[in-house]
Amino acid sequence: MSKFSRKDVGAAALSFPSWAYLVFFFIIPVGLVLWYSFGYKPDLFTAHSNSILSFDRYIEALDPTFLSTFINTLQIAGLGTLICLLIGIPFAYWMAVKVPVKWRGLLVALVLVPFWTNFLVRTLGWQIMLAPEGFVSDALQNLGVIGGPIEILYTRAAVQLGVVYNYLPLMILPLFVSLDRAGASLREASRDLGGNRWRTMFHITLPLAAPGIISGCLLVFIPLMGDYITASVLGGAQGNMVGQLVANQFNSAQNWALGSAMAVMLMVFILLTVAIVGAIYLIIRAILRFNRRVLIEEPAS
Amino acid sequence: MERNPPIKVLAPAAAIPKISRRALLGGFAVVGASLALGGCSNAKGFAASAIPNGELGRQLNVYSWGDYEDPDNISDFQDSTGVRVQLDSFGSNEELIAKLAATRGTSGYDVVVPTGLYIPQMVANGLLQPLDHSLLPNMANLDSTYTNQVWDPGNKHSIPKAWGTTGYVYDTTVIKDELTSWQDFMTAAEGPASGKTAVLEDSWEVVAIYLGAKDMDMNSTDPAALDAAEKYLVETLAPSIRAFNSNVVTSGIPQGTFALMQAFNGDARQGMLAAEDPERWKFVFPTPTANLWMDNWALATGAQHPDAAYAFINHMMNAEVALREVEYIGYHTGIKDLKEAALANEMELPDLVFPPQEVLDRLTAAVLNDGQERRVQILNRMQAKAGA
Repeated sequence: MSKFSRKDVGAAALSFPSWAYLVFFFIIPVGLVLWYSFGYKPDLFTAHSNSILSFDRYIEALDPTFLSTFINTLQIAGLGTLICLLIGIPFAYWMAVKVPVKWRGLLVALVLVPFWTNFLVRTLGWQIMLAPEGFVSDALQNLGVIGGPIEILYTRAAVQLGVVYNYLPLMILPLFVSLDRAGASLREASRDLGGNRWRTMFHITLPLAAPGIISGCLLVFIPLMGDYITASVLGGAQGNMVGQLVANQFNSAQNWALGSAMAVMLMVFILLTVAIVGAIYLIIRAILRFNRRVLIEEPAS
Repeated sequence: MERNPPIKVLAPAAAIPKISRRALLGGFAVVGASLALGGCSNAKGFAASAIPNGELGRQLNVYSWGDYEDPDNISDFQDSTGVRVQLDSFGSNEELIAKLAATRGTSGYDVVVPTGLYIPQMVANGLLQPLDHSLLPNMANLDSTYTNQVWDPGNKHSIPKAWGTTGYVYDTTVIKDELTSWQDFMTAAEGPASGKTAVLEDSWEVVAIYLGAKDMDMNSTDPAALDAAEKYLVETLAPSIRAFNSNVVTSGIPQGTFALMQAFNGDARQGMLAAEDPERWKFVFPTPTANLWMDNWALATGAQHPDAAYAFINHMMNAEVALREVEYIGYHTGIKDLKEAALANEMELPDLVFPPQEVLDRLTAAVLNDGQERRVQILNRMQAKAGA
């Protein structure tokens, strides 16, 4: 046992919280989900058995219901991320660049205020706001903005609105940090070199904020793909999301094997989507860099 | 070093120098321990139930459907006995059964509320305890119409808690015709209420709409009948449906979200009581038949507070308590002369709680049979079609 140096033991002991956290709250749970997905549901009174192992649950999970719901979810999540980004960039830019420094802390706190309320309660609030005979609908009708009651509750539009509302702060915060770090001096240099506002925006500010944009998009997109609360509260038959299918298998149908298989498929699909989008981003970046490269020619002597 | 046999492990070559024998064995121990802990729950047999000893104790855990007891009745019981009641809710019988079956008597729940048709299988699987009727003197208050049901002869394991039936509510400003049958429901859903219709998220109930409209047995296992139901429900009805949701009726009526909603009678009443203009809505006990269901108090195997549990069930069978209960939840609780007492107390919308005798005579009790899996499949396909 002389192989062990004191240094190794010390490092292992100091890092105990982090590796124990990873092992117990990530590796083992994901491993169990994977293991359960090869099992089956023997009868109504047993949620799960692994006595016969098979891939049958994956075949069951891949039925048209799952696929069409998955495509719906992908559209909602993709569009939701895009809308968050379009709202988030100007807002974060304003917060990081235009607002005096002393107000920034307050603004960040205000962005976080919705998180003080429970996620479910916030979403239920929208149910009241969007009700065809609720106060918003009445007010808009009295003002003559709309001709009849608003009819978006229990549709995909309501889910889309709900997810943008619920996930927007997760987009704004990383964007704010990255835009804040991008630095006033570089923007100034761009202006000195003759770049106008838009040129500075697209050639200096946004490329420097790219890590923030990427992490914001991931922070919004990934939890959104697995969200089921927003869809269950605001979405009807049309706003179905794949997270609800997984939750139904665990809560109502009590088919842990099928639920696990669906969860594994969802993880694989999310990874694939992120990988494909990442690859497209890298390709576009490479092309842009190639086109924008500046050749410094040897001065003729 | 020679005393220890080498350990084989599949790892990237670059990582090998970093993997020590102790780290690897430690990792195996962690994984092994967690599997062993997980394995404990699979052991056969149930945790022992506590035996009533006349002492109420300080705690009672009740596992029921959401918002299914009048909070005043609960606080009355707490004040008079000093027992703290912890209410927890489930959304389906499957959920209740899975929780009780998976925990094998250690769920912590004392009183549970299963629907009648699930009781025989729950008893056969040892999830429920036989009841000691000597501890439930208020059983004398029960109306004999609702005791001694086929699924629990002699009420050995259950006491009636509430019964109700399924029908639908419609908005008379959108649907001008008088609706009376399941066929009318389908016609309205395809016509004026298209895109403003909600059905229960319950496969038996949704398939029963078609079977009822065609005057077929609602519990049918006939593949031809179920195929015909699927063809109509998926291709014709599904595109008109806005939501599959068993809870929308209570908020959907006051908010005016839907024009036509399949609903249980008591829930529809709660929604109409919350509306500003209840006369705009109409509830139908549809012809030719509809589901007659009954939920029941039962004692879970492994219950640790049996005395408090018996006292609680007995309390709920008290005539005054039952009257408050029916006014709050909108379902008949099976107590004698409840209708007369409620009418004397000027209860709101009593017609929804106490259907006329001709309606009661035509209802059908749902049965759990071989057609269940097919029904779930039909509902899933409808949801896929409606979401496309």
